[in-house]
Amino acid sequence: MGKVQEITVWASGVVQDKEARDVAQCLAAAAAKEGKFVQGFDNYVDLPDRVNVPVRKYARISDSEIEEKYLYENYNPEIVILVEPTLVKGINVLRGMKGGGCLIVNTGRSPEEILKFIPDKKPLKKVACVDAMGICPKAVIDFSGSEGAADAAGVGIGIGAVLAGAAAKVSGCVNIDSLMAVVTNAEAARRAFEEVVIKQL
Amino acid sequence: MRDYTVKIPKEKLLPEAGIVKSPLPNSEQPDMITGGWRILRPVIDKEKCTMCKTCWIFCPDGSIEITENEVRVNLKYCKGCGICANVCPVGAIDRVPELDFDDVPVRLEKLF
Amino acid sequence: MQAKKFLTGLSAAAMAVKMADVDVITSFPIRPYTGVMMVLSQMVANGELDAEFIHADGEHAQLSIAGAASAAGSRTFTGSSGVGVTFAMENYSPISGGRYPVQMLIADRTLDPPGDFGSEHTDALGCRDQGWLMGWAETPQEVFDNTLMFYRIGEDPRVRLPQFNCHDGYFVSHIPGEVQIPEQSQVDEFLPPYKPVNPLDPQNPVGHGPQIYSDQGPALEAMRANAMMASMPVIEEVVDDFGRIFGRKYPPFVEEYMTEDADFVFFISGAHAHTARYAVRHLREKGAKVGLVKIRFIRPWPTDDIAESLSKFNAVGVVETNTSFGIARGGGILGPEVCASLYDASQRPLIASFMAGLGGEAITLDDFYFMAKKLSNIAESGRLEKAVYWMGFEE
Repeated sequence: MGKVQEITVWASGVVQDKEARDVAQCLAAAAAKEGKFVQGFDNYVDLPDRVNVPVRKYARISDSEIEEKYLYENYNPEIVILVEPTLVKGINVLRGMKGGGCLIVNTGRSPEEILKFIPDKKPLKKVACVDAMGICPKAVIDFSGSEGAADAAGVGIGIGAVLAGAAAKVSGCVNIDSLMAVVTNAEAARRAFEEVVIKQL
Repeated sequence: MRDYTVKIPKEKLLPEAGIVKSPLPNSEQPDMITGGWRILRPVIDKEKCTMCKTCWIFCPDGSIEITENEVRVNLKYCKGCGICANVCPVGAIDRVPELDFDDVPVRLEKLF
Repeated sequence: MQAKKFLTGLSAAAMAVKMADVDVITSFPIRPYTGVMMVLSQMVANGELDAEFIHADGEHAQLSIAGAASAAGSRTFTGSSGVGVTFAMENYSPISGGRYPVQMLIADRTLDPPGDFGSEHTDALGCRDQGWLMGWAETPQEVFDNTLMFYRIGEDPRVRLPQFNCHDGYFVSHIPGEVQIPEQSQVDEFLPPYKPVNPLDPQNPVGHGPQIYSDQGPALEAMRANAMMASMPVIEEVVDDFGRIFGRKYPPFVEEYMTEDADFVFFISGAHAHTARYAVRHLREKGAKVGLVKIRFIRPWPTDDIAESLSKFNAVGVVETNTSFGIARGGGILGPEVCASLYDASQRPLIASFMAGLGGEAITLDDFYFMAKKLSNIAESGRLEKAVYWMGFEE
């Protein structure tokens, strides 16, 4: 089995559940457009989500077929995206990150302020911040895509598109063109791609 | 007669039928320390506080502690629901972004 | 032109139900199958699907309503998971005995206690004696295809039996995969409207579900047995027709993978066959003579196909993601059925059961390598060390 790039998205339950799902689904769909083998799914035990209780969404990207499809979590994430910035303080969101990873945070604060709350910075190569609400002031609450059902509100219409665009720039996991082709609000993704603030460590 | 017993190593054993003593006095579930979920921290203004105990009564978590001369929030468990700020009759409680504070009352190694 | 979409097993099932133009849907929420009802209720609400959507007050009522709706002549869809399936238990035999071809989508979930959302097949397998067709889907594409095929098989005038359309909860229901969605015209060609025999109809009154004397029992039971076995040639016809119209040719009962000169095989049903195939591939690269046999239908159990397939090998490892405490030989549910299939065969492999994936744990490649090692020893030595292995508790 070839190398699998693991992406984990953290968010607050209910209020950001759809946006977090959109980030993972958009990145997976964009990579699929580039001919990669992908998975994009929700963490099973975090659902049904409760208001402001952290939830996780996962995407996996690989050049070869993903053989162990049924693992419940991304145990070694390379890319961690925080839709809710406060989670960087209360939870070790970088758990399992091996080295050379990147962290993308939805916040107007600077990468230095975020780094204050990470005691072990060794696994990180880059920290990036993007004020998603500033680019697209829509954090949509919608349950239609939850629990294996089909999203009816549109994938990538709010801050999810912004964070996917930022993640594409910081990590290079997908091209911005593939991402813009799969995201509803392509403009928001493109702006994030250009405006995300990256700090190299 | 055949021996059908499954040999379960000691470290994998669980209490039978998953039955545990509950509640356990003076104990803590390390997986259930909820302060790490908090996004907005309640800050009580000591000048305004009248020690009326309304916040203590309404806190759904029992995360407000009262002593002789102060009302204090238990930051280890407070989930930041904001009910205390909502019910305080004198407006002594503000909800401030957790990231504004440098101190880290709770940092979970993993979620559950 | 078939469109390719990235869908979860549940969304794929809902899509198929819509294209099958189902008449009545009965729902009751239980994790993990609920998503299919979320999508279907949305489709009914916005007019995409013209169907009666009835939300019952429990799984027992859910099945009872579904059976009655089918008795009145409608194409009916329902579903459940885990203890929901067992809650409705009383209704299964009346529905199959009444010859109502209801389709029930089961997204597997471990039975309580304790509460566990992970996938075990016991919820559906526990109902295997009730006279319903039963089969497992491995991928969201198979869920879509099975939904259409099961209606065609179950509603066939020679069969007229209800069907359990099963797949693993979370692994197949919640993780998206590629699904080819056909044109509506292709579905219409494959699946004609349901033509009920003797439906409840005020214009032509009939009595359903009478009380009988016990001497009338044997004939009724024998007729139901005939209907179940009559489904076997129908299944073969239907997979052929499916392949002709949609371009995907499924083997009717048993799917073999890399078994050409295999010494020993994994025998498996459901989602974990995906991982098993990669394990077989890697083991073959290292020189092991291993293969995979996947079974698509648990009911009707394809005794002759299984005997023909498995008697070629020296050892068979039955991968059991189910429990049946106290069952013959002490393993899971599939083991005794495999043994019975081979009882009359001239060549019989040694059979070991591997209890794997219990509680919904993912079966990893390493788990399959362990099983292969044990099977290799069994095949080589010609002797069973023991009949049942519990994965996770073996050295």
